[in-house]
This record gives sequence, C-alpha cells and structure tokens, in this order.
Amino acid sequence: MHFATFILKNLTRRRVRTALTVVGLGVAVGSMIALLGVSHNVERSVESAFDIRRVDLVVMQKGKPLMTDSHITEYLVEQVRKMPEVERVSEGVVSSANAVRSDGKTGDPFLVQGWKPDNFGFEDMTVTAGRRLRPGDRHKVMLGRILAGNLGMVVGDTVAFVGVGDPYEVVGVFDSPVVFEAGGAVVPFAEWQALAYGSEKLVTGFSVRVRKASPDSAAEVAAAKAKIEALRDPERSRLELTALSPDKYVDSVSQLQLIRAVSWLVTAIALAVGVISLLNTMTMSVLERTQEIGILRAVGWPRGRVVRMIMGETLVLAAAAAAAGAVLALAAMRTLTLMPAVNGFIEPDLAPGVVARGFALTVLVGLLGGAYPAYRAARLLPTEAIRHD
Amino acid sequence: MTDPADHLLYAADVRKTYRDGDVHAVNGVTLGVRDGESVAITGPSGCGKSTLLNLLGALDRPDAGEVYFRGEPLSGRRDLDRFRARQVGFVFQSFFLLPTLTARENVQVPMFEGPRLSARERARKADGLLELVGMGGRSGHRPSQLSVGERQRVALARALANDPVLLLADEPTGNLDSANAAKVLDLLTQLRKERNLALLVVTHSPDVAERADRVVRMRDGRVVDDGTRPA
Repeated sequence: MHFATFILKNLTRRRVRTALTVVGLGVAVGSMIALLGVSHNVERSVESAFDIRRVDLVVMQKGKPLMTDSHITEYLVEQVRKMPEVERVSEGVVSSANAVRSDGKTGDPFLVQGWKPDNFGFEDMTVTAGRRLRPGDRHKVMLGRILAGNLGMVVGDTVAFVGVGDPYEVVGVFDSPVVFEAGGAVVPFAEWQALAYGSEKLVTGFSVRVRKASPDSAAEVAAAKAKIEALRDPERSRLELTALSPDKYVDSVSQLQLIRAVSWLVTAIALAVGVISLLNTMTMSVLERTQEIGILRAVGWPRGRVVRMIMGETLVLAAAAAAAGAVLALAAMRTLTLMPAVNGFIEPDLAPGVVARGFALTVLVGLLGGAYPAYRAARLLPTEAIRHD
Repeated sequence: MTDPADHLLYAADVRKTYRDGDVHAVNGVTLGVRDGESVAITGPSGCGKSTLLNLLGALDRPDAGEVYFRGEPLSGRRDLDRFRARQVGFVFQSFFLLPTLTARENVQVPMFEGPRLSARERARKADGLLELVGMGGRSGHRPSQLSVGERQRVALARALANDPVLLLADEPTGNLDSANAAKVLDLLTQLRKERNLALLVVTHSPDVAERADRVVRMRDGRVVDDGTRPA
C-alpha cells in the first residue's frame, strides 16, 4: 500500500461528504475560474487585436475612463497624422446601439464602429460572406459573425438601428479576433460620425503606429506619446489627450476594470467559501477519527506524517474541486455564449493559464483549509485512543 | 540496586499523576523486563496497570522517575515515535483496526515508519505476517467482515509489522470469548518464543497471567507483588 492509497481510502470512507465537499467547493472554484476566464479573455482579445494590428498607442480624451465618452476633434487626429514619428493613424467613432431582429423584436445592445476604409481593423478581419465596406458606401453595414447570428441576418438583409432613420443594408459578414467586434457592426465612418456628433467633427479615439527607425523602439514610442499628449486644439484648449500603450489601455478601460474587480471579488468570496468548507469537512473528519489518529501515533507515526495525511486529504479534495470547477466553468462559459445578451462580449474558451491560476488558488484554499485540522490532528496524543477504549 | 542496563525495559520509580482530580495513577513503580521474558501485570480496575503500560511503551511520559530501554533513558530520546515504531508492538483490547483498510493494509500501517520498504515489499511482508497468525486467507477482508477473534489476530500481525523486540498488550483477550481468547493466547505464546519477544501484558484474566514468566500485581498505583507465579 502506498501512502497516497491510504489518503484516498480515508476520503472514500465518507463518500457523500466527500462528494458534497467537492461539489460545493467546485461550484465556488468554477465561478472563480469562469470570471477570471471572462476577464482574461476580454483583455486578451483586445490586447491581441492591438498586437496583430501593430498598434503602439491608443489615444483617447484624457479623464474619460469610459471609451464611448471620449470625444476628440479631427483637428487633433490630423495633427498626429502629420507627425514625422507617426507611421499611421486609424480613428473611429464608437457607440452602443440596438437593432430590430429579423423576428421584429429589439435585440440586445452591441458596439457599432464607424471606420474609414483604411482602418487597421480591416486588416485582420475575415469576410465570411459578402464584401468589405468601400469608399463611398452609404447606409451599408458589415455585421460581425456573432451579431449576424443574434439578429438572424445575412448579406442582403437590412438592419434597422433603433433611433436611426433609414435602415442599413448588410453588405458583409465578418469574423474578427476581437470578440466584441465579432459581436458588433462596422459602418461607414462619416455616417456614424454624423449620427453621433451631428455637424461636429469628432471621433471617439484613435490608434497609432509609431515609425520605428532605430532598435530602441520603446524610446521612440515614448517620444511619440509625449508629443501626442502635448497637442492642443486651439478651438478646444481644454481638450487633452492621453496616449497609452495597448496593455496600459486595457488596464485603464473602466469596463475591463469592472470585470476584473468583479472577478477578484468573486475569487475572494470563492476562496473564503472554499477555506470554510474544507475547514469544516476536515475538522469534522479529524474529530471523528480521534481514536484512529491516536492509534496511528501509537504505532509510531510522527506528527509530521499525521499532518501529511490530513493535508494530503485536503489537497486531494481541493484538486478534485479544481477539476470539477474547471469543467463547470467551461460549461458555464459555453452556456453564457449561447445567450445573445453577452455572446458578443465573451469568448467561451478557458485559457490554460486561467485554469492553472484556478488550480493554484484552489491548492492555496486546500493549504489554508487543511492547516488547522492538520494542526489539531498532530496534537492528538496516542493515549487519547487508549482512553477511548 | 538492579542495573537498568541488565534489562530490555526498565522503569525506575516512575510516577504519573493526572491533573484532573490529582489522581496518582502510577505511584513510584520500579519494574524490569528482560529480553524474551513475559510479564503479566494484574490488579483491580483503576490500579494503574494501563497507565504503567503506556509509560513503558512511551505512549506517555512519567511525571517523575525514568523508563530505560536497553539501559538508555527514554526521556533523553527525541524520537519516541521512532522508538515505538521500531521497537514496540502494541495490542489493544479493542483491536483498533482502521475500518476502511483491509487486513493486509492494516498490517502495513506501522511499516510506513519502519525500515524502508517498497509498497510491494510491504504487502508481501504483511501477507507473511497474516499467514503467521493464521489469517492468510482473510487478508483482503475489512475488519467489519472479520470475527472479533480474527480482528485480534490481524491486530497481532500489525504489532509485529516492524519486527519489534517488545510486545505490549493491554487486555488482549478482554473482548474475546474463551475459545478465541485461547487461540490468541496460544498465538502470543508461540510468537513470543519464535521471535524471542519480551511480552508485557496487562490483564484481568488468570488464564493470561498463568502463561507469563512473572506476574506483577498492582494496587493503587503501586506494585504490591513482583515476580510471583500464579497459584
């Protein structure tokens, strides 16, 4: 018999209690992994898009943590475009919209982006049906794959945006590495700018590729950032810009910060629930086995082996809960992505890193939850068993 | 004065007082056990027999006095767990087998702290010991599937797991009927002789005491008669 066999046998003794502990802890761990997964996927999706598009700086209005609250004059965009340090600029007008579905009901909100034909985003977009937007298109729209599915629309259909006059003809369906682009729509820049800002020549923000002449590209990006942030529009002198590297941008977006905060809050709750659950299970187990543990001590087991036994049992429970939690998390994310309200914002996959983080945190839960019962078990005297006789 | 070094195990004026009630469970006992010798400790309930056995087996520490093993004081050892694991085998009245483990696995429990053996070697050794106590055919059974007599034989095999030189038994036949008690006693006697084990047995039973080389009688925590043979 191996020591591990002994540990497993102790756990299978109370099958129902073990199963309930694993399920209870698994649900807590699953919710933790799912939320960490959502947070991670959203951030990764945005970061990878910037990476693929070789974006060095994301420029927004300073002091506007909500992306859609940022309004920048086209004058400033053009000033940046003229900078010798800048290779390319892509501006956009981004807002949230609703559309009437093919069944006549109003669908869930999604992102609509007004892009010029030379926008970076078109470069990594895969047109799965129809065509891309062309210069001169009017009242044409490209639907992301997920949005097209949610609205039940194909190329040739017309989309009626709620609150927008004439309907838009669907000229293409596309897939994108950015999940909320695949869950959104792209329309001609000028039209969406006019809808969003009237006659004002404003954009929501823009992305910048810095011209890199030397191997020290970080210094060049930093120089461009400083220059961009120093720009002022003479007609709106109080309008200031902030230029962020993509990772800093992802960190700063308030929606992502909210997701991250909620993820960690749920993680903290899950950890607390897990620790209490394991503490309860293992303390009960130790109390029930006072006599047995005393006998183990009597036949020569040192305190250390008793601690290893209890901690081993706790860690097996934690590992089983982590595995159950990962499966539950994946199932929850897959189920979530069937819901149109959220499938344009989250991806159903769990990154191995997230699962590993979930496992690591669950092992931590195991260590914390098992420590007291193990300490208590180790303090039992061999004579306890004899006295119970 | 008798030299502790002449004995396998020697208790010199050991005392144990329980704080709750200030009870002098063992009150100045001096007692020696030689290699291969069997000693029965008898006396009325509450006279301190089991407490003395616990002190001699290093399950508990005396408040005063000293227990020597091969002339070395146990109080100077920091590895009493190792001492119990490798030198002492315990047999209890209630067997104390682990209910989730089979007989073969129960016998292996002390081996985790014995000489280093692989899992296969441990299993093989356990099978050998179970064979020795006549339980070879029941090695895959759990305690709940065994009779009380069989459980005590498995417990006896467990006590021998690490080839101890000293066997301490607390009322080993206390829960057995006369037939099973006789079988267990025969087995104890046989194993003691074959392995030259020193045996210290606490008992109320005249049958058990009769088989010992020496009978020690206790009353109120003291030895009142050491060395008499049963009448």
